[in-house]
Amino acid sequence: MSPSSTVAPVTCLGCGCGCDDLVVEVSGGRIVNVSPPCPVARAWFGDGRVPTAIRRSGKDATLEAAIADAAEVLSGAAGRALVVLAPDVSVQAQRTALALADLLRATVETVTSVPAAAGLLAAQRRGRTAATLGEVRNRADALLFWGVDPGGRYPRYWSRYGPEPAGTHVPDGRTGRTVFAVSIGRDRGPPGADVELALSPDEEIPALSVMRAVALGNSLGPLAPPLQEAADIALRLTKARYAVVIHEAEPGAEEARDGYRAEGLLGLAEALNGPTRAALSSLRAGGNRSGAEAALTWQTGYPMGVTFQPGYPQYAAARRGISVAAGAAAAILVVGAVGALGDADSLAAAAGRVPVVVVGPRASEAVFPVRVAVDTGLAGIHEGGTAYRMDEVPLPLRPPLAADRTAVDVCAALLAAIRARNAGGRT
Amino acid sequence: MHDPANGVDGESRDVCIENGRIVADLPKGAPTLDARGMVVMPGGVDIHSHFASSSCNHARRLIPDEHAADPAPAPRLGDDEPLARSGTGGSVPSTFTTGYRYAGLGYTTAFDAAVAPLMARHSHSELDDTPCVDGGIFVLMGNDEYLLRQIESGELDRARDYAAWLLRATGGYAVKIVNPGGVEAWKTGQRNVSTIDDRVSGRAVTPRAILETLADATNALRLPHPVHIHCNNLGVAGNSATTLASMEAVAGRRAHFTHLQFHCYGGGGGQPWSSAASTVIDYVNAHAEVSVDVGQVMFGAATTITADAPVEYLLHKSSGRRWTNIDIELETGCGIVPLTYKDKAAVSALQWAVGLELFLLSQDPWRVVLSTDHPNGGSFLSYPALIQLLMDRSVRDEQLKRVNPKLLAGSALADGLAREYTLNEIAIITRAGPARLLGLQAKGHLGVGADADVTIYSRDPNLATMFSTPRYVLKDGALIVEEGQLRRAPAGRRLRVAPGYDDAVLPDLRRHFERYSTVAFDNYPVAGLPGEPVGTG
Repeated sequence: MSPSSTVAPVTCLGCGCGCDDLVVEVSGGRIVNVSPPCPVARAWFGDGRVPTAIRRSGKDATLEAAIADAAEVLSGAAGRALVVLAPDVSVQAQRTALALADLLRATVETVTSVPAAAGLLAAQRRGRTAATLGEVRNRADALLFWGVDPGGRYPRYWSRYGPEPAGTHVPDGRTGRTVFAVSIGRDRGPPGADVELALSPDEEIPALSVMRAVALGNSLGPLAPPLQEAADIALRLTKARYAVVIHEAEPGAEEARDGYRAEGLLGLAEALNGPTRAALSSLRAGGNRSGAEAALTWQTGYPMGVTFQPGYPQYAAARRGISVAAGAAAAILVVGAVGALGDADSLAAAAGRVPVVVVGPRASEAVFPVRVAVDTGLAGIHEGGTAYRMDEVPLPLRPPLAADRTAVDVCAALLAAIRARNAGGRT
Repeated sequence: MHDPANGVDGESRDVCIENGRIVADLPKGAPTLDARGMVVMPGGVDIHSHFASSSCNHARRLIPDEHAADPAPAPRLGDDEPLARSGTGGSVPSTFTTGYRYAGLGYTTAFDAAVAPLMARHSHSELDDTPCVDGGIFVLMGNDEYLLRQIESGELDRARDYAAWLLRATGGYAVKIVNPGGVEAWKTGQRNVSTIDDRVSGRAVTPRAILETLADATNALRLPHPVHIHCNNLGVAGNSATTLASMEAVAGRRAHFTHLQFHCYGGGGGQPWSSAASTVIDYVNAHAEVSVDVGQVMFGAATTITADAPVEYLLHKSSGRRWTNIDIELETGCGIVPLTYKDKAAVSALQWAVGLELFLLSQDPWRVVLSTDHPNGGSFLSYPALIQLLMDRSVRDEQLKRVNPKLLAGSALADGLAREYTLNEIAIITRAGPARLLGLQAKGHLGVGADADVTIYSRDPNLATMFSTPRYVLKDGALIVEEGQLRRAPAGRRLRVAPGYDDAVLPDLRRHFERYSTVAFDNYPVAGLPGEPVGTG
């Protein structure tokens, strides 16, 4: 890497938008500018500096010694190990981590949020109608933001996907689209909408039911506000050419009604495909969490909540969660950014009881005792490979900085070491 | 040995293998495998399957119930082999399980027949995790926004160059058309097209123009496989007229029509469904430039996965089964509905009969090859049962007695078709024929220079048993199945092409990407694919 350089187009994993048009300027081994300006991208890239330590029981170690120790503790826990696919690694690293989990007959946990999990389960019950983000950009003439303003967590959704950009079927951009903003308690819709509606949390599910009924063409008779306003919005959606319902699939401010909300939104989007065309756009956080679900699905058939304990993948979606799995684990392997885990407290509690191995960005900065920590680069900043956007479109990673070592290589070395131990009959 | 590409039909021969290839002879003392009394064929070649795509992954996600009912523990492989992986089955198995099960069936080459260009990177990741088979992807182009624009404006050379660029960018092997124009129509108020001369969403482009443009492009590019066509009106009563019109639209050009069974129905317009297999196969028999795979329906669980999204919506509405639809920007669509083909259901029985009629009325097995459109008509694991139906009339007739006869009046199968396929014909429709149609010169035969992909069956009076459990399978000369057990699981090769194109297309294409795509032009091509492209021309 030259002392000063410009790298483009770079993919950002700061949120699930997966913007892959960034220009990153590097000077003296540090990132000095990211454009176009986006607060999430700026925070994601930072100056690009990450620790490069290798620690074994808190002391510096060689990679070989760390791998050998990690292999020993994980092999010893075969059948009772937990593998956590944490954020910020490539899908290539996630695939290799899954191979480790298979070999160890481990339970696998992802950072799939409770609302996102509810959406996955609801989609397994009834299917789903979705679209890649380019369909929002090019086709949607009606956008319904359901309890979410993307401007906070997904700053460029508005300008890259909708409603702002011009598209093949909406050449006038924002003026060619109608924006509906539904607020649900403290989960506010975006400002500047053409139509606004405020619902209390208790009114959300009834409103979704009414809207689905309208989309199905049912006659409802007069309704009390705000359900009548919800019905009016649904009627306007049925008259759109292509309607998109956008919702937050990460935790919001209000108490979750995740299962009912997921069913209601899926049902509404499905029903709208009778009178018109429609899709549901689920906003997901970044760090390649969609990639973890994709790789889990192609390797096991299930998108989350998988255990290899029986010797094959078994679905345990109803019992998933790091806190549950960590409590039953005899050893834990975290692949990815341990600092980005939402449930680090469960790992911290487990770390006092069982050995924890962390391979990933800032592994050495874990806030709990770690048996083995191997720092790697961040996917897309120091490591190449592939990451998935929130709509499951795979994107190449074009790292602007070099890595001392990559998560995929460390995982592969760990896999080889455990296989060698097994072949030698030492487990 | 049955090696029809080399004129060998049931003769006792030696097969000499060195460095993964068939050679003329070997020095004395070379290790041998005694296959006397057995049936030896080249490794199977699946010309049309859905097993490594984003659509398949959406389908996997939709059927956890099937996965739970079909766990697949890791096979016991040698210590020097890649890590043996567990998985799950069902109609859309997980990737490693897919590779293992193909190998266990004696298949060593397979193509995923419908990959959205935007999702090609995903398909290659799945292929990386699908061992034992050499694999490739067919790239969806029949509803591509940039291509439609070139056709509209009469820029047919640019359309050809774009097709070549897209194949290179995606690591694709062949050009695929699905419901030309119909998927784009699905995304608009038009919802579908119904004839090949319908305008697509009011634009100056028709399915006929799409068929002609891409058929000409693939032939001009001298691709190893001609354009692979899924016609308009799949699964609709009376669709045989559309199918024949599509064939006539590209008459005189090499073209492959896929899962023909789903496109050979009479009736419609108030008339009941019926078989139009004989009419369509007569056309195929008379036109040497046309090839087809059948897309046989087999009774049992299936998952329909197709880029033909409007069809899946209709299937969802008519069946009440759960439905997934994914619109894929600027390119195509994806629809999924799990369903079950029941022998007591009149339409399922008709579909089953139509497929068999196509096989049994075919006059040239080299151009009418086997597929179930896995997993649409049934799993690839049902190939042995299908082979048994083709080779054994008594089994076929027994099954015919059990199916719903309501729509079979006047069908050739109901009237009695005595033909029974020979082992040599089976070798053609499962190996030699697909390989030849795909332009795979080192596949589908056991002549000198061929890849040493060999399947060896123990004879068994039950043909379904025989074909479902090969005794030995060799992949590139390595014995991967021994005594019916998978012992090795090498990574497969990637089969792709890299046709040339005029760079003049690139500035305009870049502008198109910058204006409409959500993926940067420079990020779109898939880089770092394994192996070298297969030559064109």
